[in-house]
Amino acid sequence: MISRRTLLRMGLVCLGGFFSGSPGRALAGAFPQFYIAQVRYRGGQWDPNPQFTDAITNELELRTSIDASRERRTVSLADPELFSCPFLYMAGKYEFDPWTAKEREILRRYLTFGGFLLAEDVMGVKGFGFDAAFRREMRQVFPGRELQKLPPDHSVFQSFYLVNIIGGRQKINAYLEGIVIDNWTPVIYSQNDLAGAWSRDRSGKWLNECVPGGEAQRLAAFKTGVNIIVYSLTSDYKKDLVHHPFIKRRQNL
Amino acid sequence: MNLHLTTSSLARLSAAPILPLWILALLLAAGVAAAILQYRSIRGRLGERKAIVLSLMRLSLFCMLLLFMLNISVTTRKEHATVPSIVILLDTSPSMNLPGSKDGTRLDEAKQVLLKRLLASLTQTYDIRLYGLGDTLRELGKEEVPTLKPENKRVNVIEALKKLEGRASLAVLLSDGTVKPPDSSGSLSNGSLSKSLPVLTIPAGDPAAYRDILVSAAKAPTVAFMGRQVTIDATIANRGYANVTIPVLLKDGARLVTAKSVHFTKSGESLSVSFSFTPGETGNHMMSVSTPLQADESITSNNIANLSMKVLRDKTRILFVSGTPSPNYRFMRMALKNDPSVDLLSFVILRTPSNVINVPLQEQSLIPFPVDTLFSEELKGFDLLIFDNLPLHVYLNQNHLESIKDFVGSGGAFALIGGPNMSDGGRIASTPLNEILPVAFAKEPDYSRSARSVRVTTAGSVHPVTRLSVDKALNLRLWSEMPPLDGVNDLNVRRSGMALLESTSSPPHPVLTVGSYGKGRVMALATDFSWKWGTGMVAQGGDNSAYLRFIERAVRWLTKDPALNPITMTLPERPEEGEDAEIKVKIAEDERLTFSVFGPEGIKLPSQVKSGGAPGEYIGSFRPERKGTYRLRAETGTGSLEELLVAGGRMEKLDGAPDHEFLSSISAATGGKVVRAEDDLVSEIRPYMEKAKKRYVEEKEVPLWSLPYAVAFVVAWLTAEWFLRRRWGLA
Repeated sequence: MISRRTLLRMGLVCLGGFFSGSPGRALAGAFPQFYIAQVRYRGGQWDPNPQFTDAITNELELRTSIDASRERRTVSLADPELFSCPFLYMAGKYEFDPWTAKEREILRRYLTFGGFLLAEDVMGVKGFGFDAAFRREMRQVFPGRELQKLPPDHSVFQSFYLVNIIGGRQKINAYLEGIVIDNWTPVIYSQNDLAGAWSRDRSGKWLNECVPGGEAQRLAAFKTGVNIIVYSLTSDYKKDLVHHPFIKRRQNL
Repeated sequence: MNLHLTTSSLARLSAAPILPLWILALLLAAGVAAAILQYRSIRGRLGERKAIVLSLMRLSLFCMLLLFMLNISVTTRKEHATVPSIVILLDTSPSMNLPGSKDGTRLDEAKQVLLKRLLASLTQTYDIRLYGLGDTLRELGKEEVPTLKPENKRVNVIEALKKLEGRASLAVLLSDGTVKPPDSSGSLSNGSLSKSLPVLTIPAGDPAAYRDILVSAAKAPTVAFMGRQVTIDATIANRGYANVTIPVLLKDGARLVTAKSVHFTKSGESLSVSFSFTPGETGNHMMSVSTPLQADESITSNNIANLSMKVLRDKTRILFVSGTPSPNYRFMRMALKNDPSVDLLSFVILRTPSNVINVPLQEQSLIPFPVDTLFSEELKGFDLLIFDNLPLHVYLNQNHLESIKDFVGSGGAFALIGGPNMSDGGRIASTPLNEILPVAFAKEPDYSRSARSVRVTTAGSVHPVTRLSVDKALNLRLWSEMPPLDGVNDLNVRRSGMALLESTSSPPHPVLTVGSYGKGRVMALATDFSWKWGTGMVAQGGDNSAYLRFIERAVRWLTKDPALNPITMTLPERPEEGEDAEIKVKIAEDERLTFSVFGPEGIKLPSQVKSGGAPGEYIGSFRPERKGTYRLRAETGTGSLEELLVAGGRMEKLDGAPDHEFLSSISAATGGKVVRAEDDLVSEIRPYMEKAKKRYVEEKEVPLWSLPYAVAFVVAWLTAEWFLRRRWGLA
């Protein structure tokens, strides 16, 4: 039996054939598999970046095999459809009203049994506004589990790109936070306003400037976004042993 | 022991009065006085003669009454003498079929001694009982002896002799000495036999002329795991050869696995040899340890010992290839990772050839998809291949697909998961995969996004994959509560397939179909929304256990995990040729069993099935007429199970070397002796029989008044006295 290293080396040899294959017709274009469902909540401002989906969807289609829908759905925590949404997005600037016990229980069950939530503090002020409210609610949803900084070798930083800079409209944190349950991180939290960096109008013009890094910071925001979405659809796939030697080698390049 | 009446009886009387004698004397005197008074009172009316008659009659009746009170008994004595019995034990074990010291077999030799020397001369004088020592200790008729043949087994001679203790004065054992218990070293422990039954042994066979190399023991684990080393131990025994080196071969079926050699310096040695073996393939393996035949071997069939070994995987290796990151992939991956018995290698196509990458290589985590290595070389190392919504034509060529077909044909499992690319735009119909699938794609495009509920088909209600609960009704309810699927592929079930789940639409379309190709199993799940069976149940307040169970059971069924098979067979230890073999079969209570047996040549043999007592339990039986490997098949409506059963030969593992020392030790332990066939056997036997002769007296006591004629006499006397009194005019 050949070693896994040899197997992968041999795989590299056939990479040429892999990329030179004719793309043929569009693959399953009519049936997008991925869409973003945004959480509506009471109080605060639940939709600070109403036009963020178009650009990130476009990026997904351009760079990845994910067939994403440009449609954005909105759900409340009490909505029975919540459990049909594999990817929840939640954002806000200000403090929002406390969730009811039932809403917290629904979210806890959703996240415990495989759901995923990307939450963003658009204001970016620690301990204030949305940040304070979100942390308060997460403590209620997962008692004893705090949002924690995700380590640089977390799968979310390796799921598509090898990400070491967290982009966004603003640069509050150089890291992402998350709640980890076993090998799965069902909640990822950012204060850099990723969606603000992705937002553009119908003519394609960016709606927000990225400060202080400019367009490089916006590019990093897209890379971070793509990685988060790929992570939500593949979990810790990149932790499989087969990926290890490649990722290590590229990180050392 | 037989009894003969030698002297007839002497009788004597005895009395045991019920009242003291002086009272009886007083009563007698009173009776005499009363008779005299009666005589005087009736003499005037009847005359002297008649008065005397009546008075004497009354007096005699009174005397009879007194005799009754004396309680007189008659005692008879009979003297008996015993005729000693002899039990003759004739060894009919398999080794007695081997050549004797002259012409014919050892049994022929023993029968000749028995018929011409023993029975002819002893029957007249002694009580003879004849027993055969074969499968059991069995009493034989004298007329059976000429046609007697060796049997299949060896009874424990020590147990047999113990059983006969007290039934005879002498035992005569005609044997070659191989009848010793399997764990006996050849000598008897103190007290294992008593001297109450001396044993004369008459040895058969010639130890000096015996030559044999045998595999006297072989031991292997009945269950082994693929890739894990197992040890197989064997013992090789030498009888009659000196200074020889013998090769010992370990084979897996007809394939030589390894060989070692053992060197014997002298006859009588037994040497152990151990083999290390790493099974490379799952399934039932017919292993054997054997030695080549040597010149002049007395038994050639004990040079091999067959062993059956079931090889399982310790982990199920799954290759999971997904065409795109999707909730379906993620939930299925999490379910597979949840199972500790699964070793998962997954590849997700993160970008297609049409995608544009905007960063240098050092910023990408993508690795190449080693398609050629996987599907040309490594595939056989997996148990299950899953294609999840994979556009085949982009990544796999005809050779890869042929290799997948061969993988399934030779026992691998394949699952095709639905989605827009399930049929690869209809191209799958012109690939080798089309041949192995249990479904055909109904139309193009075959995929549609409309909510469809599913229901369990009749087959699905009992099939292991969809039977999520033992309770049939609960299982149906569980599936009926599953949320609808948002996308399905329209398929048609082929004749080779069996739909387990179908859409509730009209007409229904199969959603989950299973089938087989060659030795492998195949499954088609026509949806990329099966993950909703997990989250949907959570939304209803339950949990995702039904989804996890479904994935686990699908994997186990596809990889033929015995733990999932509702059919179990419990095989007998190791039947021998000609001996009935009983197999316990357990199936689901609501199933019907078909039991078949195929012989070593693959021909179906007669077999029987009867109820095992409890619901779902059966006993299948057949008789292996000769040694070899028999294939047993139990089949129900939803599955089947095959097991191999090795039937041993009579001579397999048989150490047929005549063991006259063991016979000597029996004789010594019981106070008997070893005699040769040519000795004067009657003279040898006589002293034991004389010593065994015994006499004894039997006494029998009969009370006088318990005799019916004594009572009849009294009644007749009373009647006569009454009659005379009436006739002579007295009241």
